[in-house]
Amino acid sequence: MKRGRAFEKIVETFFLLCALVGVVSVMAIILFVFYKGLHPFFGEDPYSFTAFITGTRWAPGENVYGIFYMIVASVLSTFGAILIGVPVGLMTAVFIAELAPDRLVKIIKPAVELLAGIPSVLYGAFGLGVIVPIIKKISPMVQGQSMLAVILVLTIMILPTIVQLSETSLRAVPKSYREASYGLGGSKIQTIFKVTIPAAKSGILSAAVLGIGRAIGETMAVMMIAGNPTSGLPKSIWSMVRPLTTNIAMEMSYASGRQAEMLFATGVVLFIFIMIVNTTLIMLTHKAGETK
Amino acid sequence: MSRKQKDALLKGVIYGCAGFTVVILAVIIGFIVIKGLPGITPEFLTHQYEDKTTYVTTGAYVEMQEGSDENYVGNMGITLGLKDGKVVIDAIDKYSPLKHAVDGTGEEYEVKKGDQITKFQDYDIDGSYKENVSGGKLTEEEFLAEVRSTMEAAEGTSFKVKVVRPGGGIVPMAVTTVYMIVLSILIAAPIGILAAVYLIEYAKPGKLMTLIQFAIENLAGIPSIIYGLFGSVFFVSTLKFGYSILAGAMTVSIILLPTIITTTEEALKAIPRGYRESSLGLGATKLQTISRVVLPNAVPGILVAVLLSIGRVVGESAALLLTAGTVAQIPKALIGNSASGATLTIKAYTLMKEENDLTTACAIGIILLLIIILINAASKWVTKRLLERQGK
Repeated sequence: MKRGRAFEKIVETFFLLCALVGVVSVMAIILFVFYKGLHPFFGEDPYSFTAFITGTRWAPGENVYGIFYMIVASVLSTFGAILIGVPVGLMTAVFIAELAPDRLVKIIKPAVELLAGIPSVLYGAFGLGVIVPIIKKISPMVQGQSMLAVILVLTIMILPTIVQLSETSLRAVPKSYREASYGLGGSKIQTIFKVTIPAAKSGILSAAVLGIGRAIGETMAVMMIAGNPTSGLPKSIWSMVRPLTTNIAMEMSYASGRQAEMLFATGVVLFIFIMIVNTTLIMLTHKAGETK
Repeated sequence: MSRKQKDALLKGVIYGCAGFTVVILAVIIGFIVIKGLPGITPEFLTHQYEDKTTYVTTGAYVEMQEGSDENYVGNMGITLGLKDGKVVIDAIDKYSPLKHAVDGTGEEYEVKKGDQITKFQDYDIDGSYKENVSGGKLTEEEFLAEVRSTMEAAEGTSFKVKVVRPGGGIVPMAVTTVYMIVLSILIAAPIGILAAVYLIEYAKPGKLMTLIQFAIENLAGIPSIIYGLFGSVFFVSTLKFGYSILAGAMTVSIILLPTIITTTEEALKAIPRGYRESSLGLGATKLQTISRVVLPNAVPGILVAVLLSIGRVVGESAALLLTAGTVAQIPKALIGNSASGATLTIKAYTLMKEENDLTTACAIGIILLLIIILINAASKWVTKRLLERQGK
């Protein structure tokens, strides 16, 4: 009997170790990426951190590493994608949850699920084969690779996230809310906009934040359509941009020494953005959980 | 504006947005299918990626054989044909000596239907084609007849033949993808499932639990390029795995953990308390209850977790680009130089980025889409069966 108890204890400890793998992974990721990424700013021949964070030119050959224009590119592209993606996604979710007949829901929901499952490389192919040529035709610049292309592809990529999460939170709004509104003479549309959406607000906000996280971290699709210039702040939506993520993916395969470390430093900046987004999201979802 | 008009306008906006979402999906899939369909050929599905040239030594039939085709080579037992300016084997006898040819290292090399013959003894077939057919001296039929008679006229008992097995196929990437799926799920599934068991069955609310949950939620939000950076510094450099399938699979398995843990947690939560209590009441230990009652009932949920993971591995690119490399080959080891390999998704990317070959990339895209649709359907089916079983 006692041996059985000891065995149970050992197994429990083993289960605990498995659960801790996640914690260890997060810590290891932070440790390794930050260690490699902060290295060039300390020790022998340090690179100026201010020059790194405010520079607008990336020229590893000349030992110039400025990522400010990439930060701007990442932030603006993400902002643009959220600006279009959240309203469109929310309205689609409203359609699925409130208006659509069952027959249509059976078509749209799998469509959104499929959209969520498409690998990002294929979004890149779509951007390269469809969006970039169209932009090239209407753009005042010679090339189609542009911030606009990035915004459009990111918008499409975050749509499924926004739709699925908003739909869940809209469906979670108690029926009595809507009935109360109808009882007061509100029309269906009025009820949706004045009652249901405000009641599902925190869920929709989480969806938007998750969308920000996805958009700012997206790499492969963006890399093919951004243009990736080596310097310069984006002047308009037609300008080529180089988001933080693509900077890493473009050069990591052959970089070494200081250049590789600077790519990790780019990763650190990206990581800090993601951490802010993640923490906001976790706080939002926990708050939403408490109010229910 | 009256209330009716306002309602109609807003309704229009809602319908428009929903329509936009569906149209976009249709356009994306339509684009990939239309662009990629010409690239899907039998060769695309069955060939290696690179052309493979082999010098082989072969014997010949002792007696000249008779074939029904005019391009049948009697001493070799093959029928010749022309494809894109190359002499290829259109058919090969069951007992053709070429089936037991020997390559430079002394290993047996089976020449197959579809292989190109570019040189026979000293006769440079490729060069002769360029000179005679491209030069306009011979028609293709006359050229084939010349090749046939040269081969039949050759004397001796052993012949040197240069054979090219044409590539252009996705076999290595498909195999690498399967390896990657199996390996990463073998690593991530046990850890993820047991972690979920701990969180649901053992853990008591407290600081440790909060920490674990926080870590898992954070992992889910980290973009794959950061995982790629971590994998490249930790698995590839520090542990000296090199660009390898194991470095890739380890990196991806961390990406899979949150999905597997949360999906399994949901499955475990859905099992009624009564099941556990009855088992414990009958005198079973906690471990017996988990292994005989809880886990068997969670199987469909775990299956869904695994299916979702397969989809994730198939679609993963940024992390694998930095850890498993871009070489189109079947990995022959877990770590080291011959262990690197590109999955289908990575190859689609390099084709677009480095070779400007959107058609082949989209052809791979069609395969990827089929896999994703299959996975979605399968996980739907499992979930439906689960709900039926629970009588909901």
